[in-house]
Amino acid sequence: PSANMGRAPGLPDGGWGWAVVFGAFVSIGFAYAFPKGIAIFFKEIQDFFGTSYSEIAWVSSIMLATTYGAGPISSILVNRYGSRPVVIFGGLLCGIGMVSAAFCTSILQLYICVGFITGFGLALNLQPSVIIIGKYFLKRRPIANGLAMAGSPVMLCTLAPLNQFLFDNFGWRGSFLILGAILLNCCVAGALFRPIGAARASVKTQATQEGKDALKEEVTKDAMEMSSPTDVPMETKMEEEEGKDCCEKINQYLDFSLFKHRGFLIYLIGNVLMFLGFFAPIVFLAPYAKHIGIDEYSAAFLLSILAIVDMIARPTTGIIANSKWVRPRIQYFFSFSIAFNGACHLLCPLASGYTGLVVYSVFFGLAFGMVCAMLFETLMDLVGAARFTSAVGLVTIAECCTILLGPPIGGTLIDTFGDYKYMFIKCGAVMVLAGTFLFIMNYYNYRMLAKEEKERKAKEEDPKSVRTENEGRNNWNKETAQDGPELEPLREEQEGLKKEVNGT
Amino acid sequence: MPAAFSGKRLGLLLLLCLSLSGGSPADPTMTPQDASQSQANSLTKMQAGLNGESSEHMTTTGTVNWQSQGSPSHHLTLGHNVSTPGPDLTTQEFKQAIKANVSSVTFVEYEVLLPGVSGTSIEKNITLDSATGIELSCRLDSKYSYLKNLQMTWKRGNETIEHINKTENSWGIQLKILDNSKLGSYSCTLKGEEEISAIFHLQVPKIEGKEKPIVSYEGDTAVMICKSFGYTPIAWTWYRTNGSEQIAINDSLLADKYVINSISANVTHLKILKLTGEDDGVYWCEAAFELGKSKGRLKLKVLSFMVPLKPFLAIVAEVVILVTIIFLYEMYSKKKCAEDEKEFDQVEQLKSEESNGLENSARHRKI
Repeated sequence: PSANMGRAPGLPDGGWGWAVVFGAFVSIGFAYAFPKGIAIFFKEIQDFFGTSYSEIAWVSSIMLATTYGAGPISSILVNRYGSRPVVIFGGLLCGIGMVSAAFCTSILQLYICVGFITGFGLALNLQPSVIIIGKYFLKRRPIANGLAMAGSPVMLCTLAPLNQFLFDNFGWRGSFLILGAILLNCCVAGALFRPIGAARASVKTQATQEGKDALKEEVTKDAMEMSSPTDVPMETKMEEEEGKDCCEKINQYLDFSLFKHRGFLIYLIGNVLMFLGFFAPIVFLAPYAKHIGIDEYSAAFLLSILAIVDMIARPTTGIIANSKWVRPRIQYFFSFSIAFNGACHLLCPLASGYTGLVVYSVFFGLAFGMVCAMLFETLMDLVGAARFTSAVGLVTIAECCTILLGPPIGGTLIDTFGDYKYMFIKCGAVMVLAGTFLFIMNYYNYRMLAKEEKERKAKEEDPKSVRTENEGRNNWNKETAQDGPELEPLREEQEGLKKEVNGT
Repeated sequence: MPAAFSGKRLGLLLLLCLSLSGGSPADPTMTPQDASQSQANSLTKMQAGLNGESSEHMTTTGTVNWQSQGSPSHHLTLGHNVSTPGPDLTTQEFKQAIKANVSSVTFVEYEVLLPGVSGTSIEKNITLDSATGIELSCRLDSKYSYLKNLQMTWKRGNETIEHINKTENSWGIQLKILDNSKLGSYSCTLKGEEEISAIFHLQVPKIEGKEKPIVSYEGDTAVMICKSFGYTPIAWTWYRTNGSEQIAINDSLLADKYVINSISANVTHLKILKLTGEDDGVYWCEAAFELGKSKGRLKLKVLSFMVPLKPFLAIVAEVVILVTIIFLYEMYSKKKCAEDEKEFDQVEQLKSEESNGLENSARHRKI
């Protein structure tokens, strides 16, 4: 049940793809690191507006919620317009949001400007960046994903001292103004996202009636890896098309038929569970360190260690995941890294003193990086690049709830018991559970996929089926003698369309 | 000897050090443990160990040892009034003795263990905010009891203090600090073959201002906050520095410019509205305690909006330039591709025409 590596001749897997990876690096970095980096200004803003700490913390929460919750909207826009315009628009929106935040006169305006507008802009940055990697890479996709996701810790490490510097020199208003300009760099990242493969979608609509079935399957096989589970929904979709136009329209924008996809459902449930315990330990690491008597600077240094290890772990995980031993079983690797993460948290209460916490930070950084690097790669692996656009939108809005719930639940546990260890135990247990669930379910999924692949191959050997033609047509340049005369005009039409694709 | 010492030890081993280093700041994210500790601190300051229960509580928190520049560590004990002889009194009797003796002032004892003949001087900072009775004593470690002809003098500045209470190995003086004039540095000097001394600095609580300047903009509002940790001042006053003078800020007089309010007794806010370039400078917040006044320093910087605008425009320009370069490069590479494609397609077309011709002829032949 591994990826059909040689079936997609169109994906560059390099070349301009690396520029796209760099753009995604910047974009993803801003999307993840910005809400955390902005926390430096909160004390001053709190004094300025005379509010309590929790009211200020809402700014960060609203921003995070909007970034994840606006996922589906982002997906719809990408499905419609492609990655590039969406990212550029997102960058502009971020810039406008922060610049207007510089002129705010009340905390409510801050919620809107920093929380909603900038958060929405970041959402429009995050999703398309992840999506376009799937469009540019197949063989080296895990590496590309790992490198792009490494943007988050790098940006965090850069933003934290930068924000401090801006704050010391310009106050919070001036800093917001300059940060708005810095966020405009997302537009630069967006400009790098040259459209590719978009014309393949138009190939679908232009195909003639006789070749429609065959051509659609050609396209799906070119674009996807797991062809067998998706063939069935594709065909049912085609049947529905003739009947219901509006359903098809919605599915064109946001593919709700994904909820019938077994792999997608497994991923969704596993990840929603995992995020319940994912972020809370980071939020509470520094307070926990101070609680056991470590001074502020050393506590902050723990987070830096975490970020540095994270930075290295992500591309490394990408390289490992790309190796021929791991790539076919990447879902197992992902489940393992989640369980490893959980195990770290469970062992944390045993860590005593500063050295213990440093060791914990190192392992936590490693595990965190591993999970993050493969977060989107595994989803791409399960649903394929074409449906990934909708999949990522649906997944992020589901994760949104648990991401927001995680730290407050941890905080409540800490307040009730007065001890941090219950929070760590809860996070660890949840993640080990999620990891085990994913492991078992993916084992089942792989077996089902293997079965379906066997059935499909058995059907293909049947000579009267039109699918034999598909096998031959995978090699564009080969002239196969068994192609009947009816397929000649079809192939020339395809070549003509190919010219159109290259010419735009 | 041990019995006498245990009498004092019956008292309390307290974390006064914490109070002197500022205590636990009013952190909004205080954990339960921090909260209980700060509670303990406030108890020490106000009650000075008269409450037996609190003494128990404080004993469990442990001792804090001071170390100064290589001299051996010494303990600070906060105990009961020991001016009456009979150090073997129980805690209850002590309490009664104090209540009978003294008026409403609290009474604290500070003791320092002299380091021996190393010659370095020990200094202690003691923070007082309200009228207190104090006993300062310097004790010599029992290992030095072999030293003969020891003479202890207590001084404040140049003025020698009489009435030294001498016990086995310790010399103490009692002071009633009722106003500012009694604060200062008190030193005990033990003269024998060599001179050993220790100094107690009696001070009002320190107020922390902000080291980094507060940056604000013209036309905007600035909020300056001063906090007092642990001690509650009687009143707060704000001053601004005009040249070399300090002028008090009267918020009732200039109500549309300055607003002073205190959220709690330990915290004061100064809000300056409609900032101009003239408001730039140093500000002082002064806390008045029973025993004196203490100041905190804050600096305000007022900038015009042009200042951040320059980096902003620079970055925007950089973004625009980069985007333009990327798009131009893309158009250029597409043109190149299109030209190559045209050649490729022409070749392909020739090929397909040939093959079509061949097949057509083949079909004709078949038919």
